[in-house]
Amino acid sequence: MTSTFTDVQLDALRELANIGSGTAGTALSAMLGKPVDINVPKVAALPVPDAVEAVGDPSEPRWAVVVPTVGDLPGHVLLLFPQRDAVRLCELLGVPVDSEDGRSALGEIGNILGTSYINALAQMLGIDTEPAPPMVVCDMLGAILASVLLSGADADVALIMDSALVVEGEACELSFLLLPQGAAVGDLLGRLGL
Amino acid sequence: MEHVVRMGELAVSRAGGHVLSCIGLGSCIGVVLFDRGMGAAALAHVMLPSGAASDATPAKYADSGVPATVRALAAAGARPTRLEAALVGGASMFAMAGGQEIGARNEDAVRATLDDLRIPVVAVATGGSSGRTVRVHVASPGLAPRVTVRDAGGADEDLDLDVVLAAAA
Repeated sequence: MTSTFTDVQLDALRELANIGSGTAGTALSAMLGKPVDINVPKVAALPVPDAVEAVGDPSEPRWAVVVPTVGDLPGHVLLLFPQRDAVRLCELLGVPVDSEDGRSALGEIGNILGTSYINALAQMLGIDTEPAPPMVVCDMLGAILASVLLSGADADVALIMDSALVVEGEACELSFLLLPQGAAVGDLLGRLGL
Repeated sequence: MEHVVRMGELAVSRAGGHVLSCIGLGSCIGVVLFDRGMGAAALAHVMLPSGAASDATPAKYADSGVPATVRALAAAGARPTRLEAALVGGASMFAMAGGQEIGARNEDAVRATLDDLRIPVVAVATGGSSGRTVRVHVASPGLAPRVTVRDAGGADEDLDLDVVLAAAA
């Protein structure tokens, strides 16, 4: 796998993240009945230790929904919420966060958003990929990211495609990451003719 | 002074009062090695079981990173035959389908390498499903370092390094 990407390649990946998160934002908006804003995605290819720190303070607690992807684009979709935002999101759905129902609701949000994100990419690229069942944890950000990034191939460089979704009028924001596994990134770029 | 040991890195200190730490260990392992006679301690942030390390990440793999940490401690004056180890991390945060979890494989590889080097493991906080932060407070010569472990949102808890282990058969 190449360890660096050209600007053109990163732009193309950013556009992919944009389309994927746009579709996911529409799904979230439909689920909550509220408008959802999407920021410009950040895309970076970094050595794994830097990638972990680029997302945030590794000691910060985060709720995370991990959606593994299988097929032509192996990797993970990762949704991250600070505690406050996880609480608010669960309130909007009418369940307490610190309960089985709360975890289940966050998992379902991950499932719906991850599926719409992945489907948008699959359609655009003409690839066959699908999400596996989501896993929900609340733990230190560094521990979550390192565990996800190291669970697949032994890559020196991690590609992070980071979008934020903001529920309008609510203190509710979530970070949406696509973490393709090593070789999958090359395939992705090949599909785009880059 | 706190020195954060990032993924794949290792650090050695002989300065009493210094703190070496790994923040947010998931499946990674924080390998603490110390020579209590010298007051020397090292912390390595191991990511994977085996492979060839690079200069930037000498402790990335257990099989090459643990010996590299021992060499670094020896270079600082510690006696390899007097080293003791404590292990923190190696959690399985997600129920990944198929195969043994990376956290458990990391712990197995670290233990096997320490075994080869005849370094006893005197304390562990490994496995489970939660992330951990480890801090090694370097002590004066003659004393073991103070090693603390905390979970997300939890408080620092001391690892007991003075447990007398049943003699290995």
